[in-house]
Amino acid sequence: MKHAHILILEDAPVVREGLKSILESLRNIDYVATAGTFEELTHLMKRKTCQMVLISPHYLHSHQKQLQQLRSQYSNVKWIGVQYTLFSEDLMSKLDGVVDVFDNQDTLSTKLSKWLETNPDEISQGKENLTERETEVLKLLATGKSNKDIADELNISINTVITHRKNISQKTGIKSVSGLTIYAVVQNLISLDNY
Amino acid sequence: MKSKSDIHRDSKLAEIIISQPYIILMLEHFEVSLPVQDITISQICEKHHINEALFIAFTNLYCGKKGIPSLRLTADDAITITRFLATSHRYYLEQIYPEIMQLIEQMREQNKHHEMKLVSLFFTDYFKEVTTHLDYENQVFHPYVECLVTESKGATCKDNYIDYSVSQYQDHHDDIEMKLTDLKNLLIKYLPTYNDHIIRRKLLFLLSELEFDLKIHSEIEELILIPLAIDLENKDKTSRQ
Repeated sequence: MKHAHILILEDAPVVREGLKSILESLRNIDYVATAGTFEELTHLMKRKTCQMVLISPHYLHSHQKQLQQLRSQYSNVKWIGVQYTLFSEDLMSKLDGVVDVFDNQDTLSTKLSKWLETNPDEISQGKENLTERETEVLKLLATGKSNKDIADELNISINTVITHRKNISQKTGIKSVSGLTIYAVVQNLISLDNY
Repeated sequence: MKSKSDIHRDSKLAEIIISQPYIILMLEHFEVSLPVQDITISQICEKHHINEALFIAFTNLYCGKKGIPSLRLTADDAITITRFLATSHRYYLEQIYPEIMQLIEQMREQNKHHEMKLVSLFFTDYFKEVTTHLDYENQVFHPYVECLVTESKGATCKDNYIDYSVSQYQDHHDDIEMKLTDLKNLLIKYLPTYNDHIIRRKLLFLLSELEFDLKIHSEIEELILIPLAIDLENKDKTSRQ
């Protein structure tokens, strides 16, 4: 699984910190650092490898040369503009992509994943090939239901529930109910509110 | 025929430690500390009053060999074993579990994914279960085994354990390694990372060390101590008839 390191260059603290906190909650983003000035960004890029820089487009005007230099120095890094006002198409074409401040979390995740060549659903797609029934059993188990409750709810025998549980543990490598609960949260099968 | 890698009474402890550093942990549980100079197994056993065959069996377990040979053990060996286990308990409760807990907390501070809160809760609950498990052995089962040893030497103390027997301990003896393996699987396969590679690696190394020691710990309990305690219990019953 590919995890990304992202740097943000944005002078408005509210936008910068807001963006950072949203990015931190996305699954395929591994590390986010912020810079308030171009110098800080240059410094950060020296210290830490990154795959992407989110940049406020006005820097394209003010730091044209420095930007070109960084782009040639770190040729694998994707430069994405954060748009909250209209910039000229010509300016934006200098970037690898644009996100909008009105993008919601899902749109942002999908866009960034595309540029980072990662899959936003990578984790949720890898549900260890649990069958639909096993997934149902896991969801109920993770919300604190007993074998009997699960049998009643799904209209199957307790023995069948036990067989499903054995298969789930074998496929995931996790045996305890509390461990499976964490697995179910990671896989987005249940939300933390159910816990 | 003995192969070169076989551990025997004349094997040098230092050489074994170099090829298998976990032996240091075993020595700590025997309350033997480094340095060991050129001392052999038979010399260390004599110095610390440990049955050589028992020491070699433990060393083989820590070197990753499966199974335990049939050992001719005495009542005094039961005391050696309960002391070894009690020292291991202190290592679990006072050292490695708190160290793991600390790393989980560091990881939670570093990794903002909400699953990490659950991992922290998972481990806190698990540690409570482990503490209950080990306290029971320290306070009930080990004193009972020591009482059986006392009885085997002609003194009495069994009146304190009228309704107790080894079989009750066997019923009570649940698996404390399972959740550890679950946690390893979660960290290796599923939990999303966030700039926590170093902490995660340290955590996995500690979990593996603990898992390794706990596995041997259970084998010693189940394959050596329990049969020996049952034997002492049977002898005690016969002597009372």
